[in-house]
Amino acid sequence: MSVNKKIPVLTVNSTFHIGSKDEDENKTGLAHLFEHLMFEGSENVEKGNFDEILNSNGGDSNAYTSWDITSYHISIPSNKLELALWLDSGRIAGFRIDNESLEIQKKVVMEEKLQVHDNTPYGSVEAESSKRLFKNSGYKSPIIGNMEHLEKVDLIDINNFFNMYYVPCNMVLSVVGDIKFDETEKMIKKYYENIPPGKYIERKLYDESEILSEICETVFDDINLPGKFYFYRIPKSGTREYYISHLISAMLTEGDSSRLYRELVYDKQLLNEVDSAIYGMEDVSLFNINSIAMEGADINEIENRIDDELNNIKEGKFTEDEIFKVKNRIITKYIMKLQTNNNLADKFSEIRTFYPDCSKINNEINEYDDITKSEITDFASEFLDKKKRVVLNYLPRE
Amino acid sequence: MELKLDRTKPPVTGKPRDLLFPEYYEQVFSNGVKLYVINDSRLPLVTTRIIFKTGSSEDEFESENKSGLASIVSELITKGTNSLKATEIAEKIDYHGAVLSSGCDYDATYITSSSLKKYFPFIFSLTFDLIRESVFSEEELQREKNQVINSLLSCYDEGEFLAERLFKKIVYKNSPYANNIEGIVSSVNNIKRDDILNFYKSFYAPANMVIALVGDITPVEAEKLVISKLTGWDSQAIKNRPVPKTRFEQKTKSYIYDRKGAVQSNIRLGHLGIERKNPDFVKISVMNTLLGGYFTSRINKNLREVNGFTYGARSYFSWKKFQGDFSVETDVKNSLTAKAVKEIIYEIKKIRDEFVTEDELFSVKNYLSGNFPLQLETPNAIATKVLNLELYELDKNFYNTYITAINSVTKEDIKNCAEKYLHPENLAIAIVSNLSETKKEMEEIGEVEVAEKIDE
Repeated sequence: MSVNKKIPVLTVNSTFHIGSKDEDENKTGLAHLFEHLMFEGSENVEKGNFDEILNSNGGDSNAYTSWDITSYHISIPSNKLELALWLDSGRIAGFRIDNESLEIQKKVVMEEKLQVHDNTPYGSVEAESSKRLFKNSGYKSPIIGNMEHLEKVDLIDINNFFNMYYVPCNMVLSVVGDIKFDETEKMIKKYYENIPPGKYIERKLYDESEILSEICETVFDDINLPGKFYFYRIPKSGTREYYISHLISAMLTEGDSSRLYRELVYDKQLLNEVDSAIYGMEDVSLFNINSIAMEGADINEIENRIDDELNNIKEGKFTEDEIFKVKNRIITKYIMKLQTNNNLADKFSEIRTFYPDCSKINNEINEYDDITKSEITDFASEFLDKKKRVVLNYLPRE
Repeated sequence: MELKLDRTKPPVTGKPRDLLFPEYYEQVFSNGVKLYVINDSRLPLVTTRIIFKTGSSEDEFESENKSGLASIVSELITKGTNSLKATEIAEKIDYHGAVLSSGCDYDATYITSSSLKKYFPFIFSLTFDLIRESVFSEEELQREKNQVINSLLSCYDEGEFLAERLFKKIVYKNSPYANNIEGIVSSVNNIKRDDILNFYKSFYAPANMVIALVGDITPVEAEKLVISKLTGWDSQAIKNRPVPKTRFEQKTKSYIYDRKGAVQSNIRLGHLGIERKNPDFVKISVMNTLLGGYFTSRINKNLREVNGFTYGARSYFSWKKFQGDFSVETDVKNSLTAKAVKEIIYEIKKIRDEFVTEDELFSVKNYLSGNFPLQLETPNAIATKVLNLELYELDKNFYNTYITAINSVTKEDIKNCAEKYLHPENLAIAIVSNLSETKKEMEEIGEVEVAEKIDE
């Protein structure tokens, strides 16, 4: 719980430690489909009424599924706290779904896949990269799953999935906003404490052998501009290396003075866009660089220039000032992000899902403070190794 | 202790806490610059939002085929002054961990910067220097044009972008609101350095400027900072012209653009709507929210929750300063296109021809009033609201009376508004899809024209 009385609203976030990587490899997409089903009603809320009740009380809801977690949030005026807890706990205490709802939501998810992936330029990058980065773990499938698997999902699958994962011992509840601690705690106990806790979940051990030679693949798409996408496996979320990787990512692409922007977008005009991202995950993380070329640009030169910049970092060709700059930038963005109840609640849930307590929310930002130059160069040499990466070249279809 | 719990009925809840729009300080300087200050010291951050009350609707203020001009001027603001090169500006901003962005919409230009409080005086001063001392070098202009043209090439890969362009061109016809804010390839190629300089001189002027400072800053601190940057910047007359209203009165007609490889249709249908100042604004908002403005609206419920046609469908009254449009947007499998369009038209007719139920109205009112505080959650969001009062010349009390206004809307109001502002017999239906899978079925709905080209 965290109090913020600025505006009379609050967020209830319930997060379940179940994501696409935990799925059976013949039943991919189940975690995300399930996210849709949690809005379909429960023992005491008729089909279709979950959102109606919420909306008609001034509330709103949303949810997302990642590789590791499924997260739901409700934001609502603060006088309706109890209603939000009633709605949220009700679907865990008395989950209910019928075949008609299941079939409609399968169709909705298939349209979601068409909209987000199949009908979108470069929309297949996630699927194309995952299957090359991973061979054994659940990380090898895209979160939205395989549509052939999805078609076959039935109510038995759904109920088994629910009974296994949607239980209090696999859940974190965060309430942030215009609340009083004692009153809120009482209400949470009232609605959640008597739900059976569920059983400890045995998770598959992460078992992937190292990538030993560069995997480079060409994909043809309906696009005007070629794209180049790089992926490197790096250590899991929350490790020292994970925080170091953020600094390097910022050195490469954060702001107009960043290395790749300055060199490839501004100076050489080889790229129209460049960005990088760290996907922090439970067992492993990904370091990703995305670039879209300018029309007619020399693709080999782009690759060489990107490699040059990575080599510069490996060789320590950067100043303490540059480290100071990216630390500043990361800290400002971190603080700005936690301005909203939704983002703060999400952060609480994420941290408490993977750590024994919430203290990290107060000291995570300090993780960056004492990272040294040699740690940056060591990280880059070890993990941003050309031999260990997956590269996707997207080219216009002829 | 055993707690007795009845889960069968929703709990009774207490009274909502009152919400007033945050207090703000307001001042006008002698050269016409307006300043708003909103103090919010929860986090050690300060944001500056500056607007000039001119946007892309003035792209062609001097000559034809210059769409994209206002946007390029706003982008070039960060690309060089008398004393700083673009790379030096970027270095200074990034070094201080600040974020600075600029851009425009149809009615205004925006320059926003945020930083930690300790760096704020420096970042504010730099932001102002960029505005007052930009040089717009030929080299930076060429570079920017090159980038914009390549970005446009990427945009034309996206079905959603194409559908939006097609729809706007049909309903707004020759209005500047039909243009793409970033321009089109031929117009961007046609922009010269003189166009940039003339636009800058005409519109980046004190009397056209409004500043909102929000965050961990007091009005006294803010005023001192602003005054220190205003020296020698004199007032000058601004010639912002109203955008002439266009008319759109044809029978419902579809326009299909054949996109190779499309596995879904991007559908945008609707007609002209209202300008922001329309006195029925709140009533129209309530009507539109019920029709297609939120998750449990009629259109989304019908298309997504009952039929499973789509991931989502929404309707919008997108208002601008002088005119606006009404549109319903959704993406569906090619083969479902005509079915989805028929359902949308059915819902538009129904809300016009029948009273909405008291339950639906109750729900929408609660939704809109309950959601309103979320629009005041961040300093940046508050700043935008304050600047909108200024930009769209709204009643100063608009936000403080908003919830009351929402709650006084009746089902008669909704029906009157629907009769006046919705025209289901006169829709422009813009579709980007695989033509061979959609044309025949769309002909059952009305005349179909194949759109050969969207932009030159």
